[in-house]
Amino acid sequence: MNPLNEMPEGLSPKTSRRDFLKLATRGLLYFSGLLGLAGLLRFLNYQPDPPPPKRFEVGLATDYPLNSRTLVPAIPAVVIHDRNGYSALSLVCSHLGCTVEIKPDDYVCPCHGSRYDLSGNVTHGPASSPLPPLRLELTKDGRLVVYKD
Amino acid sequence: MRRPPANPSAGVSRNSALVTIIIIGILLLLAALIALSPTHAYGAGDEPGEEPTPVPTSWISPEIYEPVLPANPLLADKGAAKYWAVCMACHGDRGQGLTDEWRQRGFGEDMDCWQSKCHGNNHPPEGFRLVRVVPPAIGPSTLRRFTTAVELHDYLLAKMPWWNPGSLTSEEAWELTAFLLREDNLYPRDLEFNPQEAGSIPVHLPYHPQTGERAGQWVLFGTLGLAAILLFAGYTKNAFRAKADPKSAFAMTDAKPASVPEDDAQSIPAPATANPAPRAVEAKTASARPNFLHHLHPPTIPLPQARWRYTLGTGGLAVFLCLLLGVTGTLEMFFYIPTPEQAGSSIQVITFLVPFGGLVRGLHFWAAQALVVVSAIHLLRILFTGAYIPPRRFNFLLGLALFVLALMFDFTGYVLRWDEGIRWALMVGTNLLKTIPWIGNQLYSAVIGGVKPGLATLTRFYTWHIFGLTLIMGVILVWHLFRVRRDGGISAPPPELRSDPRRITRYELVQREVLAMLVASLVLILVSLWLPAPLAPPIQDTPIIALSEVRAPWFFLWIQQLLRYGNAFWMGVAIPLAVLAVLVAIPYIFPRLPDEQRGRWFPPAGRVVQVIGALIALGWLALTLLELVTKTP
Repeated sequence: MNPLNEMPEGLSPKTSRRDFLKLATRGLLYFSGLLGLAGLLRFLNYQPDPPPPKRFEVGLATDYPLNSRTLVPAIPAVVIHDRNGYSALSLVCSHLGCTVEIKPDDYVCPCHGSRYDLSGNVTHGPASSPLPPLRLELTKDGRLVVYKD
Repeated sequence: MRRPPANPSAGVSRNSALVTIIIIGILLLLAALIALSPTHAYGAGDEPGEEPTPVPTSWISPEIYEPVLPANPLLADKGAAKYWAVCMACHGDRGQGLTDEWRQRGFGEDMDCWQSKCHGNNHPPEGFRLVRVVPPAIGPSTLRRFTTAVELHDYLLAKMPWWNPGSLTSEEAWELTAFLLREDNLYPRDLEFNPQEAGSIPVHLPYHPQTGERAGQWVLFGTLGLAAILLFAGYTKNAFRAKADPKSAFAMTDAKPASVPEDDAQSIPAPATANPAPRAVEAKTASARPNFLHHLHPPTIPLPQARWRYTLGTGGLAVFLCLLLGVTGTLEMFFYIPTPEQAGSSIQVITFLVPFGGLVRGLHFWAAQALVVVSAIHLLRILFTGAYIPPRRFNFLLGLALFVLALMFDFTGYVLRWDEGIRWALMVGTNLLKTIPWIGNQLYSAVIGGVKPGLATLTRFYTWHIFGLTLIMGVILVWHLFRVRRDGGISAPPPELRSDPRRITRYELVQREVLAMLVASLVLILVSLWLPAPLAPPIQDTPIIALSEVRAPWFFLWIQQLLRYGNAFWMGVAIPLAVLAVLVAIPYIFPRLPDEQRGRWFPPAGRVVQVIGALIALGWLALTLLELVTKTP
């Protein structure tokens, strides 16, 4: 129902002026509705929770023996120690964000069956992009720090 | 980055106003969308600025340097100097309080403050006795008794320094407030503290200036105001004047209220003898299926039914307030966390940090207060005009139920704040239940969900407020509205007006309603912007607000006063219930009014009821005023 449409016709000689007022009023009301929607969007856009951490301390480098792949569930990532040194690979499936599982010679996503090889490249769909490598730092006192993004 | 939207009122007076308005509207919406950057509570932490050049002092350990004012000192910089001069001796150089570490470092061999000559028992005239415990002034868990910068300022002004309270000027108190909040990293070091905004600057949350929001609020206010003005200017008083016999089917009389078929003319074809004018209106809507809104807005209603001076418009206003409360309450639910630990702080987040959150909360609070006032006036109007007699007797009872529900809504909503301001009202209000014979204890644990207020209590009040009461009130409200029409329309006109053939159209009725809603919204927005909804520090383990400062919510002050006079059950439960019982009984004891007295204010045959109504209202007012002036020793 839009009652503002239902004005009886031809009752006043000032109909055109009244029509203008009617249109303007309705325009303003719609406009205030739009304002309200914009405000609602800003209202709901506020994030009360702190952003997730970007920096993860994952302990002493010596805890990661040579030729090991170690799961760090908090990130989630795998810390790899091979003859090239230390590196880290995100375990977030590039398809829809499930955490991929570490298998003896590859990584498998339990959600939709994507597979990645040891360096993170896709060997089996539906994922189309590789697991991203994460920046990893070795501090002066021998600790590893992994950075997300 | 927030850009204040431009003024929307420009260009309205021109002829192409509508086009202009729409274009401006789209532009403003775009501007608002561009300004939509995600904002969040964290990240206000800041590196300390350059160290001022150290200046050793004499009266205190030479390692403690007096801060040096930068070239263009901010309020907080001046506050730092003031803190050093006035507060530091007791509260520590880092605001840590009078700790052993500070006494050792600051005063060396004079570290035993309570024995040294200035603060010993036989201190010289310029000395003074020192309190045993001096609390910290800077740090995350300090200043817990304050919510906004205004409260902190007022406290400093009135109570500090401890040895000479009231000696600070307001300006100095602002400087210290700015300094303390900046030391807590609540706002960037290079931002100037603005005392004008202090009412919306939180003490425990990072502060960010809400200039964009403030502009947006005023744009909304201006748009609604302009719409109200234009609506008023274009207001049509096109009442239909029947050319036919006034006693035709269209001259609706109060004697046959519910059975007049023309009310539902959209579904029932109008009688062939019907007046042509109203049918022209009906024809426009004849194809549409009648819905509940059509039921409330018949194509035309008799003009004398909708006399503002008779109805006061309070019923419609109450409905609008309920709708507004539903909308703003839903918005608050997006951020409110109903746990004892987080309820208070989540309300602070809504109030201080969420864009437009302060406005939403203000509207919710003030609409709730207005609902109590408007419903009470509505009730008095019914009593003073004798509108409670059959056939409206049942609807009178529904209305009373709605009034009681509104009070329960207000009380449960008040408790949801879960801050120090509600601690004792909750305690007293629920302990009153225990005083009821036989069922008191069961009632208490049913409401509280435990042996004392806690998590279960908050969950229950939340559930009642959000869902339980809403469900009940929704049903009764719709029923109440439905019955208005069934019982013969908005009101029963007096006999001499019943033959008035003029009728107002649905269009005009809706116009009136929209105008009333706009005016009500404008008033509520203004009040919300000037007077923020009350807020106290979150409930803590030990009460921090003196009991003598504690008051019930204003609509229960009369009960608080009554409770001073005697037995808690009789004063706090029996008397309020008796008042309600009297109101319920009125239409049964006095069910008749002579026909010629109906539809008027203060009909002589209803004197007893009018006196009862006036006594209840005046009694309520007197007790409330008494409680407001009562000072607990």
